Amino acid sequence: MSIDEMTEDKLNLFIDKQLDTDEMNEIHQALLDDKVLRERVCQLKAVRELVGYAYSEVPPSRYEVTKQRNFNAIYTKAIAASVTLVVGVLLGWASYQYSPNAINAVSAENTFQYVANHVTVDHLQRKIILHIDSGDVQVVNAALNEVEYLLATYRNAKAPLKLDVVTNKTGINILRPEMSPYINRIQQIASNDNVSFFACKRSIDKARKKEGVEIVMMPGVVTDKTAKDIIPGRLQEGWVYIKA
Amino acid sequence: MKIVKNILAAYSLKSEFAERRNKLYRIAYSWCHDAALADDLAQEAIYKAIKNAAKLRDVGTMDSWLYRILFNCWQDYLRVKGRNVEFVEMHDDAQLEHTESYQQSQIVDRVRASIEQLPMPLREVVTLADFAGFSYAEIAEIIDVPVGTVMSRLFRARKNLKHQLLDFGSDELVEFKLRRVK
Repeated sequence: MSIDEMTEDKLNLFIDKQLDTDEMNEIHQALLDDKVLRERVCQLKAVRELVGYAYSEVPPSRYEVTKQRNFNAIYTKAIAASVTLVVGVLLGWASYQYSPNAINAVSAENTFQYVANHVTVDHLQRKIILHIDSGDVQVVNAALNEVEYLLATYRNAKAPLKLDVVTNKTGINILRPEMSPYINRIQQIASNDNVSFFACKRSIDKARKKEGVEIVMMPGVVTDKTAKDIIPGRLQEGWVYIKA
Repeated sequence: MKIVKNILAAYSLKSEFAERRNKLYRIAYSWCHDAALADDLAQEAIYKAIKNAAKLRDVGTMDSWLYRILFNCWQDYLRVKGRNVEFVEMHDDAQLEHTESYQQSQIVDRVRASIEQLPMPLREVVTLADFAGFSYAEIAEIIDVPVGTVMSRLFRARKNLKHQLLDFGSDELVEFKLRRVK
């Protein structure tokens, strides 16, 4: 497929991940080489994100207001001080898990636009965590595409970037040489000094228990911390969180 | 025992519907830009869903089934009122109190105004895809048209919005902070 054949329709299908893997990869490759094409994709993604953004805050519904009022009336007095501490501690982790968008969070598919916008405005070091918790082919492919795109964009812009790829759950399998189809690609990415790969210690322990064998990771992967140890701390330090 | 099981299942389903009420409200709001109307539509959709719960054969398709009911409520409303509904003002300043800054509220205003100018079928599809996050196939199911029609409407909507929004001022877009609420 030549660049000229990249119709607007095709690019729409690309950003919505409606093409097959080969076509996705073909366009991704073309994006690395063609600035105009990147810009077209960025514009489409920007439109998509703006629509989502436009309704992320809507006036509260009467139902929610009433529900909140009822809840407050019934339960406020019942909340005992003794549980406050426990709730506070739990909330720290829960808010990380379910509301990462509160802290500089962008979804993986937003990365093109995010990076394109920010590289043009400053050359401060960007610190990004990419979190992969699934071994799903589409998710992993998209994530690795994004990583390569990020690295290429920052390299071309001569802007500093620090990228930590944190895997947990079945996501750790992408770092296992004996079973990962992505291992060569990941090794290539890991050869960049500014990229580190982490495999969650807890997920490794679970896999070991389940499979009854030693879990071997690709050389260079950090395995002595859990995702819980790594991610919340980075978020507090202002890293951008991208969920694959 | 079977009766108790059925009651529990019905209760659980009702809770599932209630949990999704806010999402229904938000998508309804993106179509009509009227909080009171969106509330009524979401309420009506939940009522109809509870009433017709037995028709939901696969719980896995609950989301698209619920949105389809909501979409039908919306279409009924448009039919009664006529296609040339004059929509009320999108929001007032007080309702924007949650937005982070004046600049961001301006972006929101601008995007909503652009969406409002789209023909209704395009607006419905673009909000279902880009706000609610449904796949093409799910949208086709919700609004009962072929997938090809969904694609064509979505692409036309985005092309239109791109034309309207991207001469908005690159500076403002550069500063635009991406956030997503699902």
